[in-house]
Amino acid sequence: MSRHNENMTPKRIIIDTDPGIDDSLAILLALASPEVILEGVTVVHGNCSMEQGTLNALAVLELAKASHIPVAKGCELPLVQPSLLAPETHGNTGLGYAQLPSPGSRPIAQHGCDFLIEKIMSNPGEITLVAIGPLTNVALAIRKEPRIVQAVRETFIMGGAIRHEGNTTPLAEFNTYVDPHAAHIVYHSGMPITLTPLDVTYQCVLRAEDVERIKVAGSEVPAFIEDATRFYMEFHDEYQGIQGCVINDPLTLALTFAPELCNYDEYYVDVDISDGVSIGKTFADIYKVTGNPANMKVALGVRPRDFIELFLDRMEKLSSKIP
Amino acid sequence: MKKRIIIDTDPGVDDALTFLLALASPEVKLEALTTTQGNVTVEKGTRNSLAVLELLGVSHIPVAQGTSLPLVGPLRASDQVHGQSGLGNARLPEPTNQPVPQHAIDYLIERFLAEPGELSLFAIGPLTNLALAIRKEPRFASAVKELVIMGGAIREGGNITPQAEFNIYADPHAAHIVFHSGMPITLIPLDVTHKTMLYSNQIDRLKTIDSPVSRFIVDATADYVRYTESKTGIPGCALHDPLTLATVIAPELLTFEEHFVNVDISGGVSTGSTFADFYHTTGVPANMKVALDVRGDDFVELFLQRMENF
Repeated sequence: MSRHNENMTPKRIIIDTDPGIDDSLAILLALASPEVILEGVTVVHGNCSMEQGTLNALAVLELAKASHIPVAKGCELPLVQPSLLAPETHGNTGLGYAQLPSPGSRPIAQHGCDFLIEKIMSNPGEITLVAIGPLTNVALAIRKEPRIVQAVRETFIMGGAIRHEGNTTPLAEFNTYVDPHAAHIVYHSGMPITLTPLDVTYQCVLRAEDVERIKVAGSEVPAFIEDATRFYMEFHDEYQGIQGCVINDPLTLALTFAPELCNYDEYYVDVDISDGVSIGKTFADIYKVTGNPANMKVALGVRPRDFIELFLDRMEKLSSKIP
Repeated sequence: MKKRIIIDTDPGVDDALTFLLALASPEVKLEALTTTQGNVTVEKGTRNSLAVLELLGVSHIPVAQGTSLPLVGPLRASDQVHGQSGLGNARLPEPTNQPVPQHAIDYLIERFLAEPGELSLFAIGPLTNLALAIRKEPRFASAVKELVIMGGAIREGGNITPQAEFNIYADPHAAHIVFHSGMPITLIPLDVTHKTMLYSNQIDRLKTIDSPVSRFIVDATADYVRYTESKTGIPGCALHDPLTLATVIAPELLTFEEHFVNVDISGGVSTGSTFADFYHTTGVPANMKVALDVRGDDFVELFLQRMENF
């Protein structure tokens, strides 16, 4: 279990997301963690449409009484591939069975990719980017302002599957499959990346009995988590034979302040963008056959129950703070 | 009514000749240039654009700098065809003007959304800026009155790989985005541009006019002609990019067909090749007008006349 080091300056983070059930849990985890300051949310297509994702992000921030955090709308289509959304996984609203009131707040006028560029460039070395959806916004930002790869402090990406099977095709993980060309741009950009692939996220299963433990009286947060994850668990059971739900994005977020939850290896990682059955597949040059230098840290080992306990503890604390 | 145009460009010798032809043509009002990587790096392209506009005394025309890399692949810019500066042997003074502060992507979005259906876009380099504008602003594609692209090779062989033409090959994914965007497109492929050869002896005609413009053309094209001759034995250079303006100044010289045209982005040997669905095998409706024949000599003559009278 991570120790909150009171002496460490909180990390300033921006979350690029397609909320999305586990994305929403990641947003809540960020708000529940004093080790990070959430300075903005940029929305991308993916689990649901970008428009729906924007409403969800605003609604989740409102639920957590954090509406001061700016939400910026990003890209609604992948770069090259046709649109692919995941209503069977996240429901028609993207939040499973959860029904949040229509948000009163609005997104900012600035495009998500420009928000990323402006925040990163005006705070060089300060901003940690947590990208937990398809990488379209990030790729567009990099192509528009190449210097963000040096100016960003670090980038945590939820995506890929290295030694693990795919969850969207037999070979590919969802975020990468939805926009493999964007992933290609980001992976080869020189950005300092920590990748959280299915290899580790699929070990982090949130079970019904875990969710039961976040029952804090008088808070709407536990009910939201319960309703959102119940749909997600039904999907995992029906489609993948898993009892519980895999919470990919919260693990990615947790690594920004509790990196010791995982073990990492540095590899040259690439993504297949050729038009065949392997499109969207990520692979690491384990035996260094390409001669290319490592371009990212990849989380390949995790202590799942330590992470789940951390997550539950933070959700309980958040629920106690918020009516 | 003058056609109001913005040119997205990677100058580039024949790009520069296109600016000249646009400014020499009363049918056209050149309103801005946006630069992309392609023939040269985007920084060189911006410099060359500003320098050529200054040579022609039209520095009020804004230049907006765009993307420095294609979407996915490596940068394909090289010194081979267009020389180290990108303008062959032409030596223009360092421009005194600056590009506008706005990124080309945002400049294009702003201009076209401000006057939807009023401005035409001429894309004579890789399509990276356009693709990113399309993806950043979903309303951009329908705001463009028409898009004329120099690119592709339909029945003609490629000029950078056996199957692919340079602009498309340099960013095939951007081409894919643009081709499928719904924008009204006119394609000017190698099929027609290879028939618009400006020969050395015709360039000699310009030598007699000893003006800054004629000297520029002679100097800029010298390397380009040498390169073409070394590859094909033909002592001349194709007026690829200028031919796009024929759609405005002499459309009767071109023969068009409407087809569904696609680009290969598979990553194999056909990457960047463009092909038309002539026999409707895909069932996909036509997405562009393609120029498949041209009275090339007549176009070159028209070009020379306009240059002589500059």
